[in-house]
Amino acid sequence: MLFYATTIDGLQMGLCFAILALGVYISYSVLNFADLSTDGTFPLGGVVCTILMYRLGIPPFAAVALSFLAGFCVGAVTGVLHVKFKISDLLSGIISMTALLSVTLAFTKLLTKNGMTTAVVSYRGIGVNGIFGGKLLSRLSSDARDGIIIAVLIAIVIFIKLIIDLFLKTKLGYMVRATGNNPMLVTTLGKNNGNYKILGLCIANGFIAVSGAVYTNLFMSYDNTSGSGKVVLALASVIIGLAVFSKIRFIADTTAVIFGALIYSLCLNYLVLVDKDGTYLKLLNAAMFTLILIFNNKIAAFFSKNAKIRRGGGSA
Amino acid sequence: MIELKNIAKTYNRGTVSEMTLFEDFNLTVKTGQFVSVVGSNGSGKTSMLNIICGSIPIDSGEVLLDGVNINRLPEYRRYKNVGRVYQNTALGSCPDMTILENMSLAENKGKPFGLTFGVNRKKANYYKELLAGLGLGLEDKLNAKMGLLSGGQRQAVSLIMATMTPIDFLILDEHTAALDPHTADVIMELTDKVVREKNLTSIMVTHNLRYAVEYGDRIIMMDKGKTILDRADGEKRTTSVNSLLDIFNKISIECGN
Repeated sequence: MLFYATTIDGLQMGLCFAILALGVYISYSVLNFADLSTDGTFPLGGVVCTILMYRLGIPPFAAVALSFLAGFCVGAVTGVLHVKFKISDLLSGIISMTALLSVTLAFTKLLTKNGMTTAVVSYRGIGVNGIFGGKLLSRLSSDARDGIIIAVLIAIVIFIKLIIDLFLKTKLGYMVRATGNNPMLVTTLGKNNGNYKILGLCIANGFIAVSGAVYTNLFMSYDNTSGSGKVVLALASVIIGLAVFSKIRFIADTTAVIFGALIYSLCLNYLVLVDKDGTYLKLLNAAMFTLILIFNNKIAAFFSKNAKIRRGGGSA
Repeated sequence: MIELKNIAKTYNRGTVSEMTLFEDFNLTVKTGQFVSVVGSNGSGKTSMLNIICGSIPIDSGEVLLDGVNINRLPEYRRYKNVGRVYQNTALGSCPDMTILENMSLAENKGKPFGLTFGVNRKKANYYKELLAGLGLGLEDKLNAKMGLLSGGQRQAVSLIMATMTPIDFLILDEHTAALDPHTADVIMELTDKVVREKNLTSIMVTHNLRYAVEYGDRIIMMDKGKTILDRADGEKRTTSVNSLLDIFNKISIECGN
């Protein structure tokens, strides 16, 4: 029974993190940019969405969609730092992430009655229902509620996946891909590759913020520390997904990334069963990620003989 | 017409590794002229191309394309009517994208890259025709990832991509250097054909003296940032590989190589 509950939990979180992984897929895999601002963008999406629903009374789904814009701005900042001021990708991300720690904390002032900052804001406490119905569904059995939550999550994930797939097939999407793949080609095509890098980061962080917003809705509470470890989680999801699934011909990269997020989240949740008080959770998390990185090339080689050129694969 | 006037360029100014390459370098390439540039390593050939394209800044002097000063134009804007093929066969295309996607990108040069579909399926036949002209069997591989092709195949596609849209200038930066002798010949033939068909003003840097002699209508030899030999048309036609090699050896001995 505990195993069943853990699996349901893992699936729900996995679907949330699938959105996160899709965002990081754009920055890390498509754009070839290790963007550490993720840890700050994720909670930002959550707090912005909560403020929109609580303070401005915006309908939950619209609030989640609007949180995209918050992430979009973060991407713009990171991108401009990197492109215009020539700060390395890692450092640009760290600067954004560090700044966001204060920004998100400051935003929580809008969620408390006394105008003080707070680490956690409960949706029940402030009377917000969120996209999963909250109080409205309290009469249903917990199984029915879980079913609805998973159905809604799947719909959101598929919607976002399709948007990203479509975007990457447009001329603009091609330029973003080319920027990550061979920025020199973008230059010889007469375009400034820096602009596409910034745009790609904006879109990536937009979806990361949406993921944070959905996550906050799922737990019915905003947690200011929810961003920690999200880069690792997302990168692990992207790497597992691409290593295991993208070698199969008819599976698109975005689908592979979604499965990667589901697998990783389930594994994380099963770890909780082992480490009950959660002391070593992050350590186990890091260990699992290390193992994934070590075996990444081996898994890839196992699933496909004709080596695809990938990041970290060595060639090109 | 490409003009370089009184170009000065010093690398690492103010450091112990300061190296003055160009002091007062001048070059004029007439419209439609195909120039081959030879010279030893460090003679300034590639630097010259980089100066024309804006990949590196200059200390003083003027770069003019068709009489217009482009000193202040950033690199990407200079490529509006300039095509460039690199020695590194990976630089001309995107390895993770298919041939079809790469060619669609190249064909859209000069037009806006908006939210319309990147690939126009109707164009596939036109691309196939272009690829069939190479005789490399690539016309059946439109959906293959560029990264899976051999260096020679990639270079051939790069050349087509660089010259697909109406451009006036073509910059060839040792574009056959990384290829085996046979493939290099194929690419060189193709280059000549494209340059003549489109009447492109071209500068080709090469280490292959035979190509420099056999192709193009002008040959330039550079050494330490200076032009030490410049023969065009009739005078160029009588230049043999051996005579070129003699001069080459002389400057190499002077350098102590």
